[in-house]
Amino acid sequence: MTDFCERLNEWKGNRLMPMIISKSGWLGLAFFSSFLLMAALSPVLAPYDPWYRFEPYLPPDELHLLGTNDLGQDILSELIFGSRASVIVGFGAALMSTAIGTAAGLVSGYFRGMADEIIMGITDIFLMIPQIPLIIVLAAFLRPSLWLVALLMGCLWWTSTARVVRSKALQIRETGYVQANRSLGFSSLHIMLSDVLPNITHVVMPKFLLSIASAMIAEASISFLGLGDPTMKSWGMMINFAFSRGGFLNGLWWWYMAPGLCITLFVLSVVLLGSMLEERESVSLRLQ
Amino acid sequence: MSLTGRKAARYFIAIFLIITFNFAIPRSMPGDPLTNLLGEDVILSDSSVQELRSKMGLDKPLWQQYIEYWQSILRLDLGYSFHLHKPVSILLQDRMKWTLLLAGPALILGSALGAILGARAGWRSGSRREKVHTGILLAVYCTPPYFLSLISLYLFSFQLGLFPLKGLYSTGSAADIAHHLLLPAVMMTLFTLSRNYMIMRGSVLQEKSSLYAAFARAKGLYDEQILFRHIFRNALLPIITLLALDFGFILSGALFIEIVFSMNGMGSLIYDALLSRDYPVLQGSFLIITIMVVSANLLADLLYSRLDPRVKWE
Repeated sequence: MTDFCERLNEWKGNRLMPMIISKSGWLGLAFFSSFLLMAALSPVLAPYDPWYRFEPYLPPDELHLLGTNDLGQDILSELIFGSRASVIVGFGAALMSTAIGTAAGLVSGYFRGMADEIIMGITDIFLMIPQIPLIIVLAAFLRPSLWLVALLMGCLWWTSTARVVRSKALQIRETGYVQANRSLGFSSLHIMLSDVLPNITHVVMPKFLLSIASAMIAEASISFLGLGDPTMKSWGMMINFAFSRGGFLNGLWWWYMAPGLCITLFVLSVVLLGSMLEERESVSLRLQ
Repeated sequence: MSLTGRKAARYFIAIFLIITFNFAIPRSMPGDPLTNLLGEDVILSDSSVQELRSKMGLDKPLWQQYIEYWQSILRLDLGYSFHLHKPVSILLQDRMKWTLLLAGPALILGSALGAILGARAGWRSGSRREKVHTGILLAVYCTPPYFLSLISLYLFSFQLGLFPLKGLYSTGSAADIAHHLLLPAVMMTLFTLSRNYMIMRGSVLQEKSSLYAAFARAKGLYDEQILFRHIFRNALLPIITLLALDFGFILSGALFIEIVFSMNGMGSLIYDALLSRDYPVLQGSFLIITIMVVSANLLADLLYSRLDPRVKWE
């Protein structure tokens, strides 16, 4: 008999977004690496200091390619520095959620029994918590900072990784090499780390990329609510200011269009890359 | 423990944890718990601070406060917003219906359309039309819902003047409300649709290569018949689960769409509460959203056992 959750595990264990077009995967890679470069080299690339004040509400011209905002800050420079917030939160949250998820899934799938019951029970409960509202409430009480947001997301988003890893670990623990190592008397920890884990990385990788994508969308949403880090530029916050400080009503579309498109393109590039990896993984499965 | 017992336990523990968590937040966060409970812009004299402190039970031991908190929750008392001068439960009731009016129809329409379009796309994967559809919907999928709403608001209301710029109604007639609601509802539908499309497409792609599909083809059924009579039903199963899990995310999307369109729903309530640091409203909204998401999961769980004869509740 198939239980609701087992069906879910089965499903979640498979690829979420099958191949789009593999050419687009390379396109994704190109965009992704250019955004990463933009974040790494923002002081070099940005024409001005993003906090320096020029004349406010300037329309785009050759000195300020995207004009200036309500405080007179150069929007293009803000845009370039804003990529850092997305990268920090995206990678921070994804690294953390992948680490927690992999550990939980490994233990759960390898040991089965009681450990599995408990970990999967916790996963089910975590899955039901509405994450963005929870982050909003916590961020409202605490002083907002990017690291806090990344930390919270990491603590909340490990569940789907845990399920994928678990279902893979359940398969791998029955293979000959794991059985052989067990009969040779290697410790469970050793088997998990040196036999099971290396065979799981290829399913963890696309999950990792997809977590980066959701974390970046969530970061943009939270800073749109004004809960972003006030000491850092972020695309969500730029849209928030454009929306709440008259940029929208006065038709200054470049002010919010540029950061919005950047969010979409960055997320899209990560998703394309992730689905390319997922597709590769399923092709190699078919060939086996 | 039986399966039913285990499942029921999961839902109870989730609700229990969230309520406990809600109790703990204002009492454990930095700052005075009284400020954390009342909201930041409430200014009180010293004597009324003392009075309120004892009235809210903050001078009692923690376990007693916890029991009293549960009692008030069971009375549906979610606290009082000093900022808006209304009990939170009444505020939420008032705003909730607008959010549901926006999210409900969009959710149903978006899921249905997403499932059908996604199924076709999965069936004909690789065709030019499918690639275009998937490309567009993938872009929608990757866009934060509020940005999508901003673009549409700029295009259709600001530039073309087809729709009102903000609010829910100006005269209050049904046609007027529909006129105000149309654009946000379309955005909400598109947002839901893109998520369901992706899931359904993947689901059909997997089912397509199964043996029963090959058998249906060998029997000489038409493509449409194989897809909608045989594959669709099986591919729909994971969608129900994922839809329930996605419900929280979609609801959050509705909140953001409301903020952009300045509609009087939960989203704007939360946004205003954030600006004025009106903590009781924030916490009450969070609690209600959680309860809605947990109920959606319960519903999906029940529905699933109905639709899939292999699943039975013991």
